[in-house]
Amino acid sequence: MSDLAAASSLVHARDGTRLKGQEGPRADAVQSIGARPIIMTVIAAFLVFVFLAPILLVIAVSFGEKIEGASWVWAFDPSNYARVFVGIGWPDQITLLYAYKLGYTLAYAVLGSLIAIAFAFPFTYFLSQCSRPAQAAWLVFILASLSMSEVFIVMGWDIMLSNRSGLPALFKATGVTAWLKDTGWLAVLKDWGLANPRNVKFKTSQLATVLTMAYLVWPYAVILLYAPLSRIDRSMIEAARTMGAGSFTVMRTVVVPVVRIPVMGTLLLLFVYLLGAYVTVTYFAEPAHQTLPVSIYEAIRGATLNAPFGAAQAVVLLSTAGVFILASLWLGRLAENRGR
Amino acid sequence: MAGLVLKDVRKTYGEVTALKNIDLVFPSGKLTALLGPSGCGKTTLLRIIAGLETPTRGNLSLNGEDITTLPANRRKFGMVFQSFALFPHLSVGENVAYSLTISGVEKKTRSKRAQELLDLVQMADFQDRRIGQLSGGQRQRVAIARALAQEPQVFLLDEPMSALDAQLRETMQVELRLLQQQLNITTIVVTHDQREAMTMADEIVVMSNGVSEQIGSPTDIYQRPETPFVASFIGKANFLDGTVRGGRVFVGDSAFDLEKPAPFVDGSPVQLVCRPENAELCAADTNASNILTGPVSFVRDVGPTREVFVETDAGRIICEMPSSDATPVTQGEVTGIRLKSHTLFCFPRPDPGNLEKTVEEAGRRENVAA
Repeated sequence: MSDLAAASSLVHARDGTRLKGQEGPRADAVQSIGARPIIMTVIAAFLVFVFLAPILLVIAVSFGEKIEGASWVWAFDPSNYARVFVGIGWPDQITLLYAYKLGYTLAYAVLGSLIAIAFAFPFTYFLSQCSRPAQAAWLVFILASLSMSEVFIVMGWDIMLSNRSGLPALFKATGVTAWLKDTGWLAVLKDWGLANPRNVKFKTSQLATVLTMAYLVWPYAVILLYAPLSRIDRSMIEAARTMGAGSFTVMRTVVVPVVRIPVMGTLLLLFVYLLGAYVTVTYFAEPAHQTLPVSIYEAIRGATLNAPFGAAQAVVLLSTAGVFILASLWLGRLAENRGR
Repeated sequence: MAGLVLKDVRKTYGEVTALKNIDLVFPSGKLTALLGPSGCGKTTLLRIIAGLETPTRGNLSLNGEDITTLPANRRKFGMVFQSFALFPHLSVGENVAYSLTISGVEKKTRSKRAQELLDLVQMADFQDRRIGQLSGGQRQRVAIARALAQEPQVFLLDEPMSALDAQLRETMQVELRLLQQQLNITTIVVTHDQREAMTMADEIVVMSNGVSEQIGSPTDIYQRPETPFVASFIGKANFLDGTVRGGRVFVGDSAFDLEKPAPFVDGSPVQLVCRPENAELCAADTNASNILTGPVSFVRDVGPTREVFVETDAGRIICEMPSSDATPVTQGEVTGIRLKSHTLFCFPRPDPGNLEKTVEEAGRRENVAA
């Protein structure tokens, strides 16, 4: 019997309260014991169902067979997976279109999360050293920025990076474009896909895709890093300073190593989140550099209506995320063991 | 011998004044304890010395060189923190060699130096251990070795024993003192434990409310306190309210002679202070000087000593004597207590209106009036 149930039964016993058809405190206690596990079991079963059922359905559909000109039928056809990795013409012809899409998906997610962490880490570190009111104000602002949806953020960035009304127009008006032309940097930017012969051009580009993705997850990075960074024992930083370490050395040799595990966790979380980024990629990435989530959507809801192939791509994406997470955990453990 | 000199150091945080005009000299090779209750400013002073805080006013110099604005990482005073502040991601050896690693000393040399320092603090076999695998006492030794690795000119310790249990604290106090004597390094220890300060220090600075109340050797501080605060903070003391008359102090009707006549004008309210071990039981005699009488309210044996509580008209007096030659007394028995004249201290009663009534100041006032 739990303490609470016992206390409750005691209170009833002292009050002399009796419910009709029950035999005093013992009956109350029995009732308390029975209800809690039942509620827990029902909720847990529901959660397991809503977690597992979609995954199992997607896996099942991924082996289905597409009927040309119609829908699809249940089957056990692994060709959808083969198509993801080596193309539809395999074994006569190998096409890496979807493998590339997977590559872009991973590259954008890795770069986006790394950039977000690179900006969020020093910001959060200095934020954790600010006064309490300043910290509270910043955290409220960052939490508020989370309320903006991906669509809203992407629309804002779309305007900011557009050739007519965004940064390129500002560059031109302020003479930066002319300076870039004179110094030869515009040609370099053109080689990098960030300019046309007349001006800089951020849309469409991989840089804009990655930067927007990084901005999208930046508030999450700050919130996830805030707790471990504000919990660092400040005397460790001061101890390092008294031993001759400057600010950069303190950051490199004390702060980063101490919070490396939360940083790794944050990185993984952002990475997994960005694997599914859809709107950003459709706005900012060229068709040739688009990702697996866009392809999944097109397969399921787009022109092709090939749900099994979309499902196979989704399973590959999920498995890749799993592999990355396991690899990170393994590497982390390896590093810990080496340190010991 | 110049050592570390602090001149007129003041530190304020907005409206709050943490330190008020501190002038101190820390002699080279000596161990000085900054002793005081929580919030008295001792840690702030240590942090200013370490370069972790900048004074609002005043300056610091080390061997004649002004170091007031020198940042902590260039000052390189070895410091042991209250929490020890060891780096959990590094092994014991790497912790000790940290200062050498960041200053680019080659691995072989720093490893050798770390081993020497770990030998010094009796942790020779622990070089490869993780910090999480160490006990509190072992962590403290590692923190000391780490702070000494850069061969600091000044060694600072901020309440280094506070995280240790009572028994280990006693042992470490002696060990730390022996280590300091062996290395002959200028050392400053912050503590609120008077026993710790008296065990380790060559000199004690007693602090209260951001000022240094008294500076002196442990014996001086104990035997010749200069303020009621020092008398009450260092050791135990009986306080009696009295009035000065003809160089004597009257507590009620009882007269008390001091070693020298009390330096206050007649009628000055004063506090008479007597250590419990300087009060002795005697026959109840209301006419004799330096004696108070009253019933015994409580007797307790505290190992080597016995304490007798006597409720006199002037308040409770505690008398402490060695258990071996303690006079047998029983609870309720009326007894006399003699306060030896050469062990009595007399201070102005801590009432703002009465503090200036010293003979000297009264004389000055008379001169001004004339």
